[in-house]
Amino acid sequence: MLLDKSISELSAGLRSGEFTSVDLVNECYDNIEKYNSLTNAFITIVTREEALKKAQDVKLTSPLSGLPFALKDCFATTGVRTTAASKVLENFIPPYSATIYKKLLDAGAILIGKANMDAWGHGGSSENTDFGPVKNPWDITRVAGGSGGGPAVAVATRMAVFAIGEDTGGSIRNPAGWTNTTGLKVTYGRVSRYGAIAYASSFDTVGPVAKSVEDCAIVLETIAGVDKYDATSSPVSVPAYSSLLNLDLSNVTIGIPKEFYGDGLDPEIKEAVLKVSTDLQTAGATIKEISMPLFDLCLPVYYLIAPSETSSNLARYDGVRYGTGRDNFTDETIRRILIGTYALSAGYYDAYYKKAQQVRTLFIEEYKKALSQCDVLLQPIMPNIPPKFGELLSDPLQNLLADIYTVSQNPVGVPSLAIPCGFTKNNLPIGAQIVGKMFSEELLLALGHQYQKLTDYHTQKPQL
Amino acid sequence: MKITPIIGLEVHVELKTKSKMFCGCDAEHFHTEPNTHTCPVCLGLPGALPVPNKKACEWCIKLGLALGCTINEETFFERKNYFYPDLAKSYQISQLQKPFCINGKLEDVRINRVHQEEDTGKSVHVNGETLLDFNRSGVPLVEIVSEPDIKSPEDAKTYLLKIQQIVRYLGISDADIEKGSMRCEPTINLCIDDEFYTPLVEIKNVASLTGVMTAIQYEIDRQAEQYSQDKITKNSTNKTTRGWDADKQQTFLQREKEGSADYRYFPEPDIPPIIFSKEQVEAIRATLPEMPEAKIAKYKTLGLSDYDSNLLSEDSYFSSIFDKIITDSDSVYAKFVANLLIGPLKTIEITIDKINPEYFKNLFDNKDQLSSSAIKQLVLESYDKQVDPLILAKQQNLFQVSDTNKLEEIAKDVIANNPKAVADYQKNPMSIGFLVGQVMKSSGGSANPQVAKEVLEKLLVLN
Repeated sequence: MLLDKSISELSAGLRSGEFTSVDLVNECYDNIEKYNSLTNAFITIVTREEALKKAQDVKLTSPLSGLPFALKDCFATTGVRTTAASKVLENFIPPYSATIYKKLLDAGAILIGKANMDAWGHGGSSENTDFGPVKNPWDITRVAGGSGGGPAVAVATRMAVFAIGEDTGGSIRNPAGWTNTTGLKVTYGRVSRYGAIAYASSFDTVGPVAKSVEDCAIVLETIAGVDKYDATSSPVSVPAYSSLLNLDLSNVTIGIPKEFYGDGLDPEIKEAVLKVSTDLQTAGATIKEISMPLFDLCLPVYYLIAPSETSSNLARYDGVRYGTGRDNFTDETIRRILIGTYALSAGYYDAYYKKAQQVRTLFIEEYKKALSQCDVLLQPIMPNIPPKFGELLSDPLQNLLADIYTVSQNPVGVPSLAIPCGFTKNNLPIGAQIVGKMFSEELLLALGHQYQKLTDYHTQKPQL
Repeated sequence: MKITPIIGLEVHVELKTKSKMFCGCDAEHFHTEPNTHTCPVCLGLPGALPVPNKKACEWCIKLGLALGCTINEETFFERKNYFYPDLAKSYQISQLQKPFCINGKLEDVRINRVHQEEDTGKSVHVNGETLLDFNRSGVPLVEIVSEPDIKSPEDAKTYLLKIQQIVRYLGISDADIEKGSMRCEPTINLCIDDEFYTPLVEIKNVASLTGVMTAIQYEIDRQAEQYSQDKITKNSTNKTTRGWDADKQQTFLQREKEGSADYRYFPEPDIPPIIFSKEQVEAIRATLPEMPEAKIAKYKTLGLSDYDSNLLSEDSYFSSIFDKIITDSDSVYAKFVANLLIGPLKTIEITIDKINPEYFKNLFDNKDQLSSSAIKQLVLESYDKQVDPLILAKQQNLFQVSDTNKLEEIAKDVIANNPKAVADYQKNPMSIGFLVGQVMKSSGGSANPQVAKEVLEKLLVLN
């Protein structure tokens, strides 16, 4: 299958004439026909004819030229329906495009569809969607993770070469871990958020989901950089990530924050994640156990600030301009709006929102301290294997607790790379995340790439 | 019952920047085709993000400096959350905890703050339907909040006119109350017998200067009447908002006021904190023009009357014309020019580039040989034709004869030919006007009437 190839192989093949962009697009649509009804990864699919027309006309100007990709359905795409997986935007066709979408189109990549997700990013299982839950291709009785279940499944099942996700508290990493894909939560400000429908503005980050670290590096090169339409985008220059993947592991110290490996972490997952450190150690890296005692506080901080911001961000969907009213929000979204509204209200602001921001500052220090003792932190992504449908939905609190390892990075802003690191005995994927200092994507990608040279987990794909 | 009104004013001024506060759209919205100056940002479309307009922030600081404010070096925007159909994002980006400018003063009125925010769209009600126009959505707005130091409707008017004048001097807004580019919301209560305070009332929808005064007076009377009936005093929960009905000339209850925290203000996460260094603030201060108070003082030092000084300073453009003409401290000359500017030149529209100070100097140096009506005529004509007034005076034969020898000859003839008028003069010296008129006539109008009179008086005494 052509789509098993890496981006650089595909790019080379297109240039050598071994195959064409039309072949790639056709293969994507063949896979969509086979797998989308099983997995429900897409909300809106661009017609095959339209995508083929673009493939026929494509000029090979960049490594991404002619490659079919998927966008999480939270990115504004001119003329293509954009729903954020909510009935509230069921009929919304944006008159403008997100910056990353423009950049990808400029690079010659071909959009094939808008991928399913938890509505507004509210969730970790892609069940909180008005377009039907996303199913895990490794076991379709289980969730694919979220909120970006659709983009991850699209890549895992080869319905797209790569996808763009959006991570507010794990939305790229969580589904990557549960679907055996590679995903990068970038440093806050590394990639423009313009045109990304906001969940929690100060946590939201935009990043790639792909089959390998190397692929993520190539995509990141294209989408990263300062944007005059996003005041929070960073002017820090964008390294040529994909040509900086070599790394002498003997110069790298990997921190193991013990609090991330305590009770509640599935032993099978714990073993697989710690195996990453021993594999890297064998290859020359130094391993160091460290402590992050504030770890327990990350959930309350996240679940006060994110709902506060979301209560404000979602206030505009008032039924006046988008046709469908607020009664179309799901229970989970209403719950987050109510929590946020409460936390910002008179008399509660100091006790909740403000306090959470103060603890957030402590967290920034906590990460700074941890990352002064080592170069990167190795952490699990999810405490459990992907649950069966309804298990998380029926228990909202358990639903929030499942995010415990992925919500502490966003309030801090640090980047985190999610990589496949093994399988359970029932053949369900396990992922690990490598967290680095602000704007250390170069190191994370190089380290992840070295790991993927040592292992072949990331090359495994589900047998549907 | 002793009544002391306590009045504070919130004044909104719309900045006339080229583009809007958080996007690149044209900020002009007056008489524009609805919804033509809009984009994803000011329409609040999903995913759009605000990027602050640097010029607007600088202008806000400029106004704060002109009002004697302290400038906060590090500030941030906040979201003020409330629902209204013409509020695109369902929140307004504003400033609460850290406005650009704090603690200013305008004469006797303390200024609490001058902060930056954005305007809302406009709801237009037609035939029972509400239409939304977002051309105004996101237009930069500066809010100037006074302390409750104003005591009467007249004081409120003076304060507003001062604000308007300063804003116009700075060239940052038209500050036109009728057009809505300057809006005022008074908050009023009364102190009764130096002891009790009536509940606070904020008045909205006042659309003219007289409206502000009448609304304040109405509210003073209403609250006094209300208090004498119910004796209810101010507490933290009974502030209300009343609308002003210009047709009925009365206020009406709009809503029980929401406390500010119910807007669920929180720092705007889409915009990083904004830092203006001391150096940057000083650079803005350096762009401040000479303000009206300074101009008035300067003109008084020049020897001009209070009346003239105020009149010349009213408008910065007008006073800059005066400043262009006056280059020294000669107070006679200053008075001469002031009279021309406040007089004949006030009747036409003047462009400063067409003002030639030399023409004024020439007129001044020859003023003794020109009649006052000739001077008025020449100043206008020389401006209009851009020709030296002395050339015009010569062409039109407007120079007066002040040569006493020449005038004596004419006067002698006049005396010889008008014995009756001479006899009248002997009886009543006030009747000399007729003889002066005859001299003027014989000279073909070129005689200087003052000199002619003096010559006649001399000759008639000698008789």
